Amino acid sequence: MKEWYDKINDALSVETLEEIRICVFGKKGVLAAEFAKMKDLSGQEKGKLAKELNTHKASLMNEFTAKKITLQTEALLVAMKAEAIDVSMFSTSSQSGALHPVMETMDRIVEYFSSMNFAVKTGQIVEDDFNNFEALNLPKYHPARDMQDTFYFKDEMMLRTHTSPVQIRTMMSTKPPIRMIAPGAVFRRDYDITHTPMFHQVEGLLVDKEGTVSFANLKFILEDFLKYMFGEVEVRFRPSFFPFTEPSAEVDISCVFCKGEGCRVCSHTGWLEVLGCGIVDPNVFEAVNYKDVSGYAFGLGVERFAMLIHQIGDLRSLFEGDIKLLEQFQ
Amino acid sequence: MIVTRSWLNEWIDLSGISTEEIAKTFNSIGLEVDRIQEFRVPKKIVFAKVLECEKHPDADKLNVCQVDIGSSIRQIVCGAANVRVGLTVAVATLGANMPSGLVIKPVKLRGIDSDGMICAAIELGLADMGKGILEIDASMGECKLGNEVSTNPLFNDDLIDIELTANRGDCLSIRGVARDLSAAFDRPIKAYTVTDNDDKRGIGRVFALSHEKDLNVNLSYKALSLKDLNVPTLIALRLAQIEEDRKSKIEEILLYVTQSTGVILRAYEHEFFCTGEEDKIAQVILSVDANGYAIIEGKETASIVGIVQKDVSKSKKEEGTVLLEASYIPPDIISKKMSESKIESGPFFYKTSRGSEPELKTGLAYCVDLIESSSNSSTFGGRIELTNTYNEKIVSITKQEIDKIIGAEIDKVVVSKIFKNLGFDISKSSPNSFVISVPQFRHDIINKQDIVEEIVRMVGIDNIPSKPFILTEDNRLEDNYFEYKRRSIFRHRGANNGFYEAIHFVFDEKKTLNKYGFETTKEELELLNPIVQTLDTLRPTLLTGLLKSASNNVKNGYSSVRLFEIGSVFTPLREESYNMAFIFSGDKETQNLTNAGKPSKVDFAYFVQKISDVVGCVELRETKTTHALSHDFQSAEVLIDGIIVGELFRVHPNVEKDYDLDVTYMCELDFAKIPYGLKVAQKTSKYQASFRDLSVIMPEVMSYEKVKSVISAAEIANLIRFYPVDKYSDEALGENMSLSLRFVLQSNEKTLEEEDITSAMDTILAALKSELGIGLR
Repeated sequence: MKEWYDKINDALSVETLEEIRICVFGKKGVLAAEFAKMKDLSGQEKGKLAKELNTHKASLMNEFTAKKITLQTEALLVAMKAEAIDVSMFSTSSQSGALHPVMETMDRIVEYFSSMNFAVKTGQIVEDDFNNFEALNLPKYHPARDMQDTFYFKDEMMLRTHTSPVQIRTMMSTKPPIRMIAPGAVFRRDYDITHTPMFHQVEGLLVDKEGTVSFANLKFILEDFLKYMFGEVEVRFRPSFFPFTEPSAEVDISCVFCKGEGCRVCSHTGWLEVLGCGIVDPNVFEAVNYKDVSGYAFGLGVERFAMLIHQIGDLRSLFEGDIKLLEQFQ
Repeated sequence: MIVTRSWLNEWIDLSGISTEEIAKTFNSIGLEVDRIQEFRVPKKIVFAKVLECEKHPDADKLNVCQVDIGSSIRQIVCGAANVRVGLTVAVATLGANMPSGLVIKPVKLRGIDSDGMICAAIELGLADMGKGILEIDASMGECKLGNEVSTNPLFNDDLIDIELTANRGDCLSIRGVARDLSAAFDRPIKAYTVTDNDDKRGIGRVFALSHEKDLNVNLSYKALSLKDLNVPTLIALRLAQIEEDRKSKIEEILLYVTQSTGVILRAYEHEFFCTGEEDKIAQVILSVDANGYAIIEGKETASIVGIVQKDVSKSKKEEGTVLLEASYIPPDIISKKMSESKIESGPFFYKTSRGSEPELKTGLAYCVDLIESSSNSSTFGGRIELTNTYNEKIVSITKQEIDKIIGAEIDKVVVSKIFKNLGFDISKSSPNSFVISVPQFRHDIINKQDIVEEIVRMVGIDNIPSKPFILTEDNRLEDNYFEYKRRSIFRHRGANNGFYEAIHFVFDEKKTLNKYGFETTKEELELLNPIVQTLDTLRPTLLTGLLKSASNNVKNGYSSVRLFEIGSVFTPLREESYNMAFIFSGDKETQNLTNAGKPSKVDFAYFVQKISDVVGCVELRETKTTHALSHDFQSAEVLIDGIIVGELFRVHPNVEKDYDLDVTYMCELDFAKIPYGLKVAQKTSKYQASFRDLSVIMPEVMSYEKVKSVISAAEIANLIRFYPVDKYSDEALGENMSLSLRFVLQSNEKTLEEEDITSAMDTILAALKSELGIGLR
């Protein structure tokens, strides 16, 4: 019997082990032959041999099972080893595309104001003089028209120079109260390193009963909005002039690049101009036939926001489908 | 608008206030600071006097000067043409560090010793006053020989450049800016005392004014007899600081006075108004020209009030009689007129169209005093004036109204002080209400909110608290928002499926668009003033913009370009709508191990799959596009849910060549037609689906579309879907091919039996046989 223990132990493969198993446990195997010898023996000897053989049978079976697991594990390991790869060669970059940083910025702006219960209005790109200028307290001879060099069509229509006409159209078609933003493309005849003939704006308008909307309300929402967009920045309001608001202000944030220390981007002032705003001029309400109301309005350039937030240097590259830039926003 | 500290100081006492503080105040009261420049003359530069000046024996252009620098007399060789005996000059003494980096040392110039340098303004770090050395006169105040130039505040000045908003014409002068500062600092503005010397020969001896009718202009005239006219150093220096100059001395002085006081001034040649030989009285006529502009006439038109002075009437001489004119015309009148019939305007139009100073007397007197004090000129007594009555604008506002617009309580005393300092009359106010009379120079102030703006400016917005607005609950989600959201969803889907989002201008080049067969905006609706020829029309398609960008990316070394855009396009009638377009050019994927660094090129099937991943299940039908961008035999209409939403095609090889592109596919869809909404779930079967393939032999030219419609028309029960899975052709098949179709059958009631499937297949084959004459091999 002893030799079989050795054979099981020495088996090198699952196949050899199987052959041994047949030799030991098979119908014509060693154990069967040993058990067969019992019939010639007397009762006492029979019992002794049977006990002995059963002990062998059990321990051989144990040996066999253990060896089989060992051999199978070894075999699997060998097989897997053959499948080995160098994982480091498979480092890869994303194959997905990306949203345009300007549009993504616009999405964030829209998200903020939607959650503050502002409606979203989009309007049309080709506008008339009334909605783009006249109703906004910009009569034909107003010097402020110079500020917005306009693209005209041969039939005296124009490309909107701001999204304010959307506000006029909304007021003309709905009754107050109004709480809206107008995101969209706008156009000015200006093309150089810091200007493109098309860019994007988001303008906001709130109108409610006379005496209810104050400059303090305007300050609140813009301060909160700018902190949402830029993180913890300081916000500064400077009085300014827009024909459609009175009082008007420009809003600066502390420079996001130098934290207000003064750098090239902020022209060493420590401040970046990001918004224009004010209390709606009574002439605008008169133009849309609103009575006994008060309101505030504000407007911002989306490209400027995107460039400041993402530290993009070149404005024009934003309009060239430039993958060098876009792939960074995957 | 450029101001300097010393110049402002002539109108308001700024002592004890730093320039930084002034700049900060400008910003907070709405006069935005663009730039601050400090002029600082270096040490060891002293006032000196030229005692002798001889030509250099060996150099034509050099002079050898003996110069008194207070402590001693130095010999200095000077190359300036204007150096002469008696001049007070600025001399850089030995050891002076010049702004240019030069250190002054004793030198020999062509063999002659030179111990220092007589300086030009720009060499001192001052504004550029042109060629030659700086000539210093009494206008610069105390300039004791030997004293450091840097101790004189008129030289060591600070300049602040302010960006004015279009409504603030009143701040287009030093005096106007000082008035705003007066309210901000609560310090009074200095008054200018006008003294009329009526004992002199009267102006009536040389001047007469006649006018047609009430023309809504204010005019005021003085006559002067000029002699030895001279532009003082201080004036020349300040004009250099504001970077302006004029052709004649008299014009430079007028420019300076206008800059100081805001009053528009002109000087006329006396003779220009004298018609007869003997006539020594200038006959000045105020009249109206054909366009309705108020004009001043002499022999011919001398000037147009508020717009321009004609060159012929300008005074150029430095001696003789001139007429000085101060004028004012309300800015809305001339800007309105200008928008009706535009004419050429002069340098002061910018000021007059935004509102010049209406108080003419001060400007005129300031000018006369300046000329008299700096020349040997004399003035005729009295003034001749034409004044239009100004109807005072009155705005009444209560404290409560002010507080409501601002959202904070503002003290009454503070409000009163602000308006007093700004030059508004509030004497008629009652305890309950401010009655504010608006001065003529503040034409921008019309209503209550304008009044509140003045308060807000001076109180400072930073001192107003922030308060949230309390609103009524309202559902503000509506169509425009859902449209925006829908675009946003498809933009995300585009990006998630490997496309980069692009934005292009809505302009494009008409020539290129027409060349490729796109119809552009109708001629009569076309852009009037395009910015460049390559952007001269509205785009009817997104395709050309994407092609251009793809081309640029290929030039930048990208072998796989995938872009999309959702943007506005326009019909020839300029109707606007949104399209969504895609371009996929070159490699299918990045170069990597699995493709052995040679990824295969994008193909039709792959592109369609990508598009479908973005916009949903698409059906394609063969078509010819209306434009020439597409491949003749690889273009399709795109249908979603049976509706045509756009087109998809391979780019024509010639176009690929035009744009230097590898194999390229494009797709453009009408965005409004891409379905997006809430889905309705269909009942699903709990029984197993059966799959069965059929290979039919059909002519290669036969469109699969036909096969598809015949099978669909047969309305086979339990046929869920079918699709082509293999296409095979060889010589033996000749002009035929074998097309394998896979059919999926499933019932909601039971697992289908073999005979159900066979009978369905038989029905299909029978239909194909009878309708198209095709069948199994």
